[in-house]
Amino acid sequence: MLLPRGVTQPTELIKHLNAMAPFPPGVVNWRYTIDNDWSGDPAIFFWITLSDEAARRAVLSQNSRRITEFITQQLDPIGQWGLIPYFNFRSQSEQASLKEEVFG
Amino acid sequence: MPYPEDLIQHAIFLSELNLPHEPKQVDLRRAVSAAYYAFFHLLTTEAAQNWKHQSQRDRFARMFDHGRMKACSSMVSSRPLPVDANEIRIAKDLKLVADSFVKLQHARHTADYDNSKAWSRTQVWEVICEAQDAMAAWSNIREQEIAQDYLLELLGSR
Repeated sequence: MLLPRGVTQPTELIKHLNAMAPFPPGVVNWRYTIDNDWSGDPAIFFWITLSDEAARRAVLSQNSRRITEFITQQLDPIGQWGLIPYFNFRSQSEQASLKEEVFG
Repeated sequence: MPYPEDLIQHAIFLSELNLPHEPKQVDLRRAVSAAYYAFFHLLTTEAAQNWKHQSQRDRFARMFDHGRMKACSSMVSSRPLPVDANEIRIAKDLKLVADSFVKLQHARHTADYDNSKAWSRTQVWEVICEAQDAMAAWSNIREQEIAQDYLLELLGSR
């Protein structure tokens, strides 16, 4: 089985990830992990903390789409790296309460 | 109200239960699962509509396999967009549909099987929005040939 470039060239991938800027407004923090998804396909998971304002229900869809498109266009996870991208969003106050390590 | 829309409303209802800062994980997880199944049932029901004998359509819809649907959607989602300007809008909607299917299925799998992961309301609302956007995109293109091809491919045909 051919391994995706995102797995065989992690240093290169990290370089591209770190070069992504400037993030759309509303992003307080973002992290990523590389792992397989539930069916075993290689994937990159983005864990994005939004400001409480940006995570308001009325604007959440618009903001999450903008951020998703930004990452997809800058990185092209499937086309360039062979990784399926998955995005997870939560608000700053939710993260303050849940304190989940993966969100940073 | 059609069943997929009922499931979306149910997901919203579950996501809003309890106090603003004290959602229960059980409600959030079930909301994610309902959002995925709303979209899953929309696609399988749409495919079954093409089956001539109405009395067999529910049985037809049960032939779909989650893993095969994911593999097919992942492939469709990674296809480059067409050059022809007239085809781009339809292809973009189909890409959104296929991409959302992959994401929603993973979210549902995590919600149903991975108890180590805590869900927040924002995460769940985003999942519900993804399902709603995908359903809207599907309704734009459902009669198009590439959308009908996609339904066949979801079944595992080439």
